[in-house]
Amino acid sequence: MEQDAQLVQQCLQGDGSAWEELVRRHTRRIFNICYRFTGNRTEAEDLSQDVFLRVYRTLGSYRSAHGGFATWATSVTRNLLIDHYRRTKRDRITDSLDDAMPVVENKESSARRPDQQALLGELSGQVQTALTRLSPELREAVILRDLQQLEYAEIQQVLAVPEGTVKSRINRGRIELARILQQMGVRPA
Amino acid sequence: MTWTCEQTEARLCDYLDGLLQPSEQIAFDHHVNACARCTPLVAGVSHVLGSLQKLEQVEPSPQLINSILTATQGPQTWRNAKRWLRGLQSPRFVYSAVSVAATIVLLLTATGFNWRKPKLADLAPAAIYRSADSKAHVVYGRSIKFVSDLRVVYEIQQAINENQQQNPAIREQTIPQPSPQKEPGRTDNTNPSSPKQQNRADGIGRTLEILACELPVLSGSLMERRTP
Repeated sequence: MEQDAQLVQQCLQGDGSAWEELVRRHTRRIFNICYRFTGNRTEAEDLSQDVFLRVYRTLGSYRSAHGGFATWATSVTRNLLIDHYRRTKRDRITDSLDDAMPVVENKESSARRPDQQALLGELSGQVQTALTRLSPELREAVILRDLQQLEYAEIQQVLAVPEGTVKSRINRGRIELARILQQMGVRPA
Repeated sequence: MTWTCEQTEARLCDYLDGLLQPSEQIAFDHHVNACARCTPLVAGVSHVLGSLQKLEQVEPSPQLINSILTATQGPQTWRNAKRWLRGLQSPRFVYSAVSVAATIVLLLTATGFNWRKPKLADLAPAAIYRSADSKAHVVYGRSIKFVSDLRVVYEIQQAINENQQQNPAIREQTIPQPSPQKEPGRTDNTNPSSPKQQNRADGIGRTLEILACELPVLSGSLMERRTP
């Protein structure tokens, strides 16, 4: 965390290699948040690039006293993801009608594949699909807590909502996810 | 204590995080085991949590980092150029560059390079060699002359010292004596042509007196040189 703050200072002094180091340290994490939120690799890469572009332009506004760089970058990611969600809402409404078919296919294919690894991969795909069906506010809370392993205080900082709301969203997100997975035919073993 | 379905659902997060108090845990378990709605709910959420934790991190494409850096800092070649330029700002490099520049300036100056009217022809190796050779000869000649002058002075000084040791009376003779008869503003019997000449003559006389005081034997040795 301190190293990140130091790298940010070096970036602000015009050190290009410090920025490169920051990008290398955080690309994977940012990309994963974007990927889990969108469920699309290409979109996630484009969004990750946009995140870093925004981070680069607003680096001067980062204050290490207000939290770690990772939390700040996650806030930027979250804001961009919400913007992206709003922008592409119309496209998703039309797409959602087509989503019913893959669910049935997944259900059938799960019965056909005996290989454990393949089943695990399939489950991951189903969980990813279920995630993208969550509302964005529940999705982001679940991603930050259960996939990025952030503390409640950090999530509170990223989402800019009280801790009670954070817990409530995570709870609702998990319950909703369980419901969606049940609808998809995925049941607890 | 008996919990309702709403209470159980609200505290599900704390249950999964293991944050329930023992009494709360008992009440939670009691309700979940008895409630037909909450039993599958807790099992389903626990399964979701397990599934989410099994999700592996997805690796971004190797080009992503490069495309991010290109979008923020420009193409690779430009980034390398900026890094190189930044490396030039290090104090060590600046000191080295200044030293090299000073050395070049000194060498060119020593070889007779004209800084006011610089010509490319002056930088030709043959011209530099010619100029350096000429300068070296001049410097060598001046050094020889300087050493020769020093030797003459040394010999004179030595001769004066020897003379002083042999004939100490000369020193007393050479010390100028005040003339009691001469009043201020009046000269000896000589008639200077003008006051300016008188002043000059007085000045020369004073200088000679001082020299005679400082080097009393000089007058003697000079006289010796004149006599033969």
